[in-house]
Amino acid sequence: MSYVPGQPVTAVVQRVEIHKLRQGENLILGFSIGGGIDQDPAQNPFSEDKTDKGIYVTRVSEGGPAEVAGLQIGDKIMQVNGWDMTMVTHDQARKRLTKRSEEVVRLLVTRQGLQKAVQQSMLA
Amino acid sequence: MQDRLHILEDLNMLYIRQMALSLEDTELQRKLDHEIRMREGACKLLAACSQREQALEATKSLLVCSSRILSYMGELQHRKEAQVLGRTARRPSDTGPPDERSPCRGTICISDIRIPLMWKDTEYFKNKGDLHRWAVFLLLQLGGNIQDTEMVLVDRTLTDISFQSSVLFTEAGPDFELRLELYGACVEEEGALAGAPRRLASKLSNSLGRSSGRRVRASLESAGGSGGSSAASPILLPTPAVGGPRYHLLAQTVLTLASVQDGFRTHDLTLTSNEESPAWLPLYGSVCCRLAAQPLCMTQPVMSGTLRVQSWGQVHGILKGTNLFCYRHPGEANAQEDPLFTIAINKETRVRAGERDQTLGAPLTLSISNQYGGDEVTHTLQMESRGALQRWMEALWQLFFDMSQWKQCCDELMKIEVPPPRKPPPALAKQGSLYHEMAIEPLDDIAAVTDILAKREGPPLDVPPHWLALFTEKLPTSKLPIHAPRSPSPPRACPGPRATPWGRPRTLSLDAAPRGRPPLPPRSSSSSSSGSGSPAPRQRSPPAQGFRAKARPWLQSPV
Repeated sequence: MSYVPGQPVTAVVQRVEIHKLRQGENLILGFSIGGGIDQDPAQNPFSEDKTDKGIYVTRVSEGGPAEVAGLQIGDKIMQVNGWDMTMVTHDQARKRLTKRSEEVVRLLVTRQGLQKAVQQSMLA
Repeated sequence: MQDRLHILEDLNMLYIRQMALSLEDTELQRKLDHEIRMREGACKLLAACSQREQALEATKSLLVCSSRILSYMGELQHRKEAQVLGRTARRPSDTGPPDERSPCRGTICISDIRIPLMWKDTEYFKNKGDLHRWAVFLLLQLGGNIQDTEMVLVDRTLTDISFQSSVLFTEAGPDFELRLELYGACVEEEGALAGAPRRLASKLSNSLGRSSGRRVRASLESAGGSGGSSAASPILLPTPAVGGPRYHLLAQTVLTLASVQDGFRTHDLTLTSNEESPAWLPLYGSVCCRLAAQPLCMTQPVMSGTLRVQSWGQVHGILKGTNLFCYRHPGEANAQEDPLFTIAINKETRVRAGERDQTLGAPLTLSISNQYGGDEVTHTLQMESRGALQRWMEALWQLFFDMSQWKQCCDELMKIEVPPPRKPPPALAKQGSLYHEMAIEPLDDIAAVTDILAKREGPPLDVPPHWLALFTEKLPTSKLPIHAPRSPSPPRACPGPRATPWGRPRTLSLDAAPRGRPPLPPRSSSSSSSGSGSPAPRQRSPPAQGFRAKARPWLQSPV
C-alpha cells in the first residue's frame, strides 16, 4: 500500500455499507478511527507503510453496525460516500463519517491481503 | 550661538524654578526639580556616550524629561493665572448648583500595546541586504502625568512593534484623555555620515541602497537646517548634541473612556510622518491595546454601617462596586468571609426612601428594588437614625452618579496588574535570529544543537526529536514526515481565542528569536484542523519552531 508521490494511488478495495445506529441523540457507527495528514504516521500500528497518513480503523465495537457490515480492525478507509479519505485531517475524517443527515455510509476500504485474495481468485 | 542658547536655557530654568517657588506648591516644585536634575544627567550621559544604543536611550530619557518639564510648566502657568484671577475677583461667583457632584477618580491601565507594521516589498528585495533598524518608544500622557514605555528595536523581520510593559495612571477622571505618541529614530547610518564632508556624503548617498540613501539625504538636509531640535520647543529646551540621534514623531492618537474595554481592542493612529522623514516606519495605521479602567467606587467601599434588613435582622452592610454586602458583624467582613447575603446595585436598581407600611411605624427605611427576570425583588433596609439615612442615600446617589459617568467600567471590575518597577535597560544585545546563534563546531555536533535549542526554548526535549532519526539510521529509506505547511499570517488586529486572561493573541516574528517567555502560537493559524468541535490544543505545531517536532499521541476517535 505504499505509494510514490506524484503517481496515482491504486488499491483493491472492498465496499462496506454501514447503517448507523441511533443511540439517543447520536447516530453511531461503532468503530474508531486513527490517522490523518495532521497526525504522526509513525505511530500507526496498522499501516504497512509508516509514512502513510491515511485513515485507519483502530477498533470495532462488538455487535455494532460496523462489525455487522463487515468492517475489520486495521482497514484503511479510502472513501466515504464518495468523499476521499486519503488526504484529510483527522477531524475532517471524523466529520465526514458522522454527518447527522446521513443514515447510511458507504465506505471503500482496503486491507492487506485483499490484493493477494483478488489475484488468487483470478488464478483459480 | 551655542553660548547664547546655553544662557537662554539657564535663564529659562531659573524662571521655572522661581515660578514654582512663588506658588509655594511643594509637590510640584519637588517634581520639577527632580525632572530638571534628570534632564541634566541625561544631557551629560548623552555627551559621554560612545555607542549608538546608549545614545538612543539617553536621548529618549531627555525627551521624556523635557516633555514632563513642559507639562509641569503648563500646570504652573495655569495655577499662576488662577491665583492672579482669584485675587482680583473678590466676590465668590456662583459656580453652579451647590451640590454639584464630581465623579470618583479611577486608575487607568494600558497594556499589551502592539502596533502592526506593513513592510513593502522594496524592503526585502531591492535593499542590497542591509538591515535597517529603528528604535521606537511610546510616550503616554494623561493630564499632567507623562510616562514612557521601554525602547524597542524594530527591523524588517518584525511584523509588529510590541511593548511588553504596561503603564498605570492613577487619579484619572472619567473624562480623561490619554494621548499616545510614537517616537522613532534610526539606529545606524545616520551618524556615520554626519561628520563626512558634504560632497563625499552626497556621493555616498547616491551609491547606497534606495531607502538608506533617501534617509541619509533627508538627515543631511535636516542636520544643516534647524540644528538638532527635539520634539519639544527648540528655544526653551534645546538639546545639546547635534550629531546625536534624533527622535521623530511618527504617529499619535488620543484614547478616552469610549475606548476602555476589558479586552484587546484596535484603535486608529494618526500618522504624522511621511516617507521623506528620516525615521519613517511603514505603520499600518492602527494600534492594538488593552485599556482598562478601575474607578475607585468599584474597588473601595463607598459606605458601611449597621442596617436592619427585613427577614434578616441586624446586619453590617458594606456598599462597594455593584453590590451591597451584608455581614453578620463587622469582624466578618475583615476576615474575608462570605457575606450573609448580597444585594445587587447597578444601573437598573431603583432606590426609594420612606415608609413602606405606615402601620408598622418604621420611619427610617430605604427600599432597594431589582429586576430578576420577570420578578421584582425588593429589600427594605431600616436605618438607625435620620443622619444614617441621609448618609446612605447620599452614598447611593453618588454611586449611581459614578456609574453613569464611568459607564462600561462599572459593569464588572476590570483586572489591573500593578506592573513591577521597570528594570534599567539591559546591555542591548544585537537582536538576531536563531541563525546567528547556530555557530556549531564541529558542524554535525547534535549535542551542541540540542543544547542551544534547550537554552532557548526552556524545558529539554523529553522525547528524541524526529530529525534525530536521520542521524541514528533508524529509518534509512523513509523521508521525514513533512507537516502540512501553515500560512504564518499573524492575526491582523483582531483578537483570537484566549491565550492570556484577557485574550491577547501573540504574534511571532518571521525569523526573529522568541523574546523572554516562550511564545504561545497564534491559535488562528492552526486552521488546518478546521475543528469547531474538537478542542484546538490537540493540533499545536508552532510555525516558527521549525524542526522541533514534539511527539504527540496518535489520535483515535470513535465514530
